[in-house]
Amino acid sequence: MARGVPRPGRAAGCDVRQVCFVAAMTMASALAAPPPPPTLTGPLPGPPPYQMRARLPAGDRLAGGKEGAALFSNLCGACHLAGGMGTNLLTKQRVILREPPQSGLLENRQDLTQNYVKIIVRRGRMAMPSLTRVEVTDAELDAIAVYLGKAGP
Amino acid sequence: MELTLPPRLSAARFRQALQAFEGVVGKGWVLATDEDRDAYSDIYAPGSEKEWPASAALAPGSVEEVQAIVRLANEYKTPLWPTSRGKNLGYGANAPRMPGTIVLDLGRMNRILELDTTLGYCVLEPGVGFFDLYEHLQREKAPLWMSVPGNAWGSVVGNALDHGIGYTPYGLHARNLCGLEVVLPDGGLVRTGMGAMQGNHSWHLFPLSYGPDWTQMFTQSNLGVVTKAGVWLQPAPESSLLLTWDIPNEEDIGWVVDTITPLKLAGVIDQNVFVPSWLGKIVLKGQRRDFWDKPGAIPDSRVQELLKEHELGYWQVQVRLYGDEAINRAKADVLKRAFGKHVAAPPLEETWKTGYPASQYDATLGIPSAVALQMGDWIGGRGGHMGFSPVVPASSQHVLGQLRRSRRIIAEHDVDFYASFTISGRFATNINMLMYDRDNAQQLASIRKLFNALITQTAQAGYAEYRTHLGWMDPVNATFDFNDHAQRRLNERVKDALDPNGILAPGKQGVWPAAYRDLAARRDAT
Repeated sequence: MARGVPRPGRAAGCDVRQVCFVAAMTMASALAAPPPPPTLTGPLPGPPPYQMRARLPAGDRLAGGKEGAALFSNLCGACHLAGGMGTNLLTKQRVILREPPQSGLLENRQDLTQNYVKIIVRRGRMAMPSLTRVEVTDAELDAIAVYLGKAGP
Repeated sequence: MELTLPPRLSAARFRQALQAFEGVVGKGWVLATDEDRDAYSDIYAPGSEKEWPASAALAPGSVEEVQAIVRLANEYKTPLWPTSRGKNLGYGANAPRMPGTIVLDLGRMNRILELDTTLGYCVLEPGVGFFDLYEHLQREKAPLWMSVPGNAWGSVVGNALDHGIGYTPYGLHARNLCGLEVVLPDGGLVRTGMGAMQGNHSWHLFPLSYGPDWTQMFTQSNLGVVTKAGVWLQPAPESSLLLTWDIPNEEDIGWVVDTITPLKLAGVIDQNVFVPSWLGKIVLKGQRRDFWDKPGAIPDSRVQELLKEHELGYWQVQVRLYGDEAINRAKADVLKRAFGKHVAAPPLEETWKTGYPASQYDATLGIPSAVALQMGDWIGGRGGHMGFSPVVPASSQHVLGQLRRSRRIIAEHDVDFYASFTISGRFATNINMLMYDRDNAQQLASIRKLFNALITQTAQAGYAEYRTHLGWMDPVNATFDFNDHAQRRLNERVKDALDPNGILAPGKQGVWPAAYRDLAARRDAT
């Protein structure tokens, strides 16, 4: 008979930091069998931001004048809101560069220019693929670039 | 990327065709700049993305526009490559098989047309992503779950049409399709199943048809453009119990499969059980150079050290039970007895109930995430991956044979071994993940040689892939060789009958229309 691998603290070794809260809860319930129901106080946490994006603003996607924040949330959010894979990778990179981990969220960056945002979206960089003009139209990208490009044009 | 024209089409004729398409979708949805062509290339290409160049892309907004485009494509002889959201990552993304093909991007057609919470289904357009549907179910507070693939960035319908798999009881995604609406290669419109009757109420419920059912004919297919699909959804269970075992040794996968398969066939286990090897956990913990800084494959001695350091088994088995809590408990007892014959440590047990928070990365709960793509960062640089994905019978004899064979071939090419088996009942899908730096020419050459060797030797042993990258669609098709490739010849006859101009997805899955059959790379692997 093979011996199982012991697993002290394995739930604490979260692959990605955002799961730690949930992992800690499930760990607490896992140590005893049958597990007691966890005590919940306050409102239930909903899905994390990257799984509850803003709706795409209504109207002609080729026309301008839409809200950059909503466009960013809907079109970029699956990767670049909290918990998304882009945020996870960027957080790792920013920490290596001795920048604060919260700068892994693009919305927290003060150093992005609008032009840089447009170039990365259209040309891609590292794990980030270039996005098509069906995924993000030029008009939408203009608004997103203004929203994220806090360092100016 | 500079323009590559479709075969046998002049630049002038191509320009005329684009003008005609502008008349259908409007100027803004005909995308034909060099930058557009770059965006419709394989971002994980094992080599230059210029091997599979698109000439342009068209983005229709309705089924009528799709029909009009298909009719014009017949007139101008411009081949079209339909994609839903273009996230077929590892298999070619949104790039076409035949150079110069125009991508028909259905991403704008992204309406959720119907959601039935009583009978558990929805009707979707192809541009609806897993995140879109998940958010819709949350907003509607619908008691329904999706099944999601490891990378859930893409389209629900597109993934099902390409035979994608997930890890819930609804994990065979093509089997969730019920009732399609399809634009045929001549621009005609057909509805499959009971939808063949105008206004039939059972279109998305009855999985067959009166007479032959054509639904599956349009999966992994170039016989039509799917514009609507019924997709079955799992009723949300009131509770769920996850059992996790770390399995110490590589060869243990034999008894693992022999333990899980009978329980799956008997209905104790409902889900597709995903069994990844250790590297699947390590790739999320850092970059390869953090664990092994030499170019060749990580040696076994280092693998053993890493397993100890990170408290991992060679494999991790997670079985998730769904439904009534008492039934889950009883099933868990059956599972623990079965696993207890082989492994001393009890499983980690994690309970989930309706209203409790769930791990946001747990595909076995039908929660979409693209976090699996973080493995793109493992190698460093412009990381890419391909999966070699043969299907084997779900028994130790076949699974161990497949493991040893692919392990040997991958070791001969000095590449890291990262395997998983997904046990789906009578069969298991073995995905061998091959990761590379797109800017390392030597590594790419090695990976391509390796892929050829895997296809050839696996076929000689009697197994084939269920899905493959653009560059190997012909070689894999060629492995289906019964009666002098009778299935390919049948596919070609059907293709030529329905699509005499060969305008829909020439070469998809190695099926070429007469018009372009001379372009098939049938015998030689890429």
